[in-house]
Amino acid sequence: MDKTKCAAVNIPVPAEITEIREEIEDVRTFFFRFLDPELERAFPIRSGQFVMCTVFGAGEFAVSLPWSPEQDRRHLSVRNVGKVTSALHALRVGDKIGIRGPFGNGFPYDGLKGQNLIYVAGGIGLIPLRSSIVHVLLHRPDFGRIILLYGARSTKDLMYRPNIEDWRKRDGFETFVTIDRAEPGWDGEVGFVHTLIEKAKIPTENTTAFVCGPPIMFNAVIGELSRRGLKDDRIISTLERHMKCGIGKCQHCAIGRTLVCTDGPVYTYKQIKTLGETI
Amino acid sequence: MYLLAKTDASRFLAALAGRYEMYGPQVHPESGDVFFDRAADPGSIELDAPIPANTPKFTVFPHIERILSYIYDHEAQDVKIVPEDLVRPKALVGVRPCDLTGLLCFDRFFLGQEFVDEFFRAHRRKMFVVSVTCVRPFPQCFCVCTDSGPYAAEGYDVNLTDLGEAYLFEAGSDAGKALAAELGLPPAGPDAVKRRDEAVDRSVAQFEPVAVENKAWISRAVNRLTTGFVKNETWEYIGRQCFECGACSFVCPSCSCFNIEDVNRIDGPTERLRTWDSCSFEGYARMAGEHNPRRPVEDRRNKRFFCKLSYSQSKKYLRPGCVGCGRCVRVCPGDIGMTNVVTAIRRDITGK
Repeated sequence: MDKTKCAAVNIPVPAEITEIREEIEDVRTFFFRFLDPELERAFPIRSGQFVMCTVFGAGEFAVSLPWSPEQDRRHLSVRNVGKVTSALHALRVGDKIGIRGPFGNGFPYDGLKGQNLIYVAGGIGLIPLRSSIVHVLLHRPDFGRIILLYGARSTKDLMYRPNIEDWRKRDGFETFVTIDRAEPGWDGEVGFVHTLIEKAKIPTENTTAFVCGPPIMFNAVIGELSRRGLKDDRIISTLERHMKCGIGKCQHCAIGRTLVCTDGPVYTYKQIKTLGETI
Repeated sequence: MYLLAKTDASRFLAALAGRYEMYGPQVHPESGDVFFDRAADPGSIELDAPIPANTPKFTVFPHIERILSYIYDHEAQDVKIVPEDLVRPKALVGVRPCDLTGLLCFDRFFLGQEFVDEFFRAHRRKMFVVSVTCVRPFPQCFCVCTDSGPYAAEGYDVNLTDLGEAYLFEAGSDAGKALAAELGLPPAGPDAVKRRDEAVDRSVAQFEPVAVENKAWISRAVNRLTTGFVKNETWEYIGRQCFECGACSFVCPSCSCFNIEDVNRIDGPTERLRTWDSCSFEGYARMAGEHNPRRPVEDRRNKRFFCKLSYSQSKKYLRPGCVGCGRCVRVCPGDIGMTNVVTAIRRDITGK
């Protein structure tokens, strides 16, 4: 997987929050612009990479990139879950944050031409996959079928609903959305996300699957995909770990012999099986 | 090769002190313990002192280091970021071969991977290193098993070997040669190498037999660890013994895990500090939301030994991470320093 040049390695570069959007309970999307016009013009990324985001006065956290490498507003979607992310949630439009990165390998792209692409996401696992989905849709003719299988606990937990509605309307993009339990007013699918694999009648030849979500969902999905004959090196996921530096030095994100920050965060299921540690 | 008369040692130290911040082994006046530390007075450095209790790694990787500071004005929503200037030329004098090997591991890890660690590089730049041949090993030392002593093969500007009335002064760099010329040191006689080798042999003879016996077992342990053939019961035993104090990491010349925290000062800027960390701590891999992939202690303990000995980690250091200084053996309250872990793995293989 080729790498994109890292714009800010050690010192965070300041950026201004331009808009804050409530996504779902406890998850907000922060649109931002870099103060440095040069970075604002060009901050090259690959889908699947991450940045280290500084909330001044609170600290720094690793966060995956939801925006696409092309034609997309820069933003971060973050769950309020710990000390630093709760400080981020307290910020207003106009506040500054710091960005280091982009870091990590990112999703493969060049090897995907001509492939069917299946995106399987659970809950906020859609955040890193969004970048790739927006990207491949800009190059739609390069790919076979493109299918999104998305599941969340309830309608209140569905991320990026306006995006999903847009994608649903597009030709050549198949969208399946499910929630765990039936709700009044919901006429879509009900059940766990791996049950959509059957309903979508997914192809298995010439197919790459991107899977991102909580471990329990991940295992169920992998089992279902493998049973249908999808090869381990055609199942791709992105892993999360506690990170401090992002550049392969602090060692907090070690899994087995790899470091999630520089060897990952994107791994094939074939690689994940050899890590020798629970994910 | 030159000779440095012991009566000339202070002149040698003074010459270095003129251009560098000085660091070296010093004997604590009350306890008699030896610490490698900053020496405001270069005369306090004792070249013949026993092995220091601590490693010199803090000179390039401080216990607590400010890597950046900033002021955030919440009213104006404005930030001012101030990077640190860390370049301060240092001379490390009296570095043991084990510690020097640890420093070289750091060089390869911090400078030689995908990213360069700029904070480390700033400390390491313009550094002058004087190593000493280790003529008085501790009972827990086993550098003879890890190819990292008692004589330093590389990485120094000057290496000194105690020949009794004088030191054999070997220059390992242009800066080292220039210093010998500046001090007007006499060239060493034809028997100097022989006398040096005899001093090294006498040192090797002082190592405990168990340390030397372990030589083969360390490479076998490397093999077992790399291939994942150490029994789970062995890790469980090691995990039960571990107090999770982190001392092994802190005294280790090649341990370099760190944490980063932003600390708010009253009436001052926020400081981003990087501090020593240890993979033995329970919170080491804990993520926001309390998911902890390495909660059981044995899951954490085996990672440290994997990091010290496995092939994949050795690729980052171009050698095993363990340099045989024996300090983890001396400080571990649970008696699971490196030699005992190797012994546990040996029992795991042989059953005795």
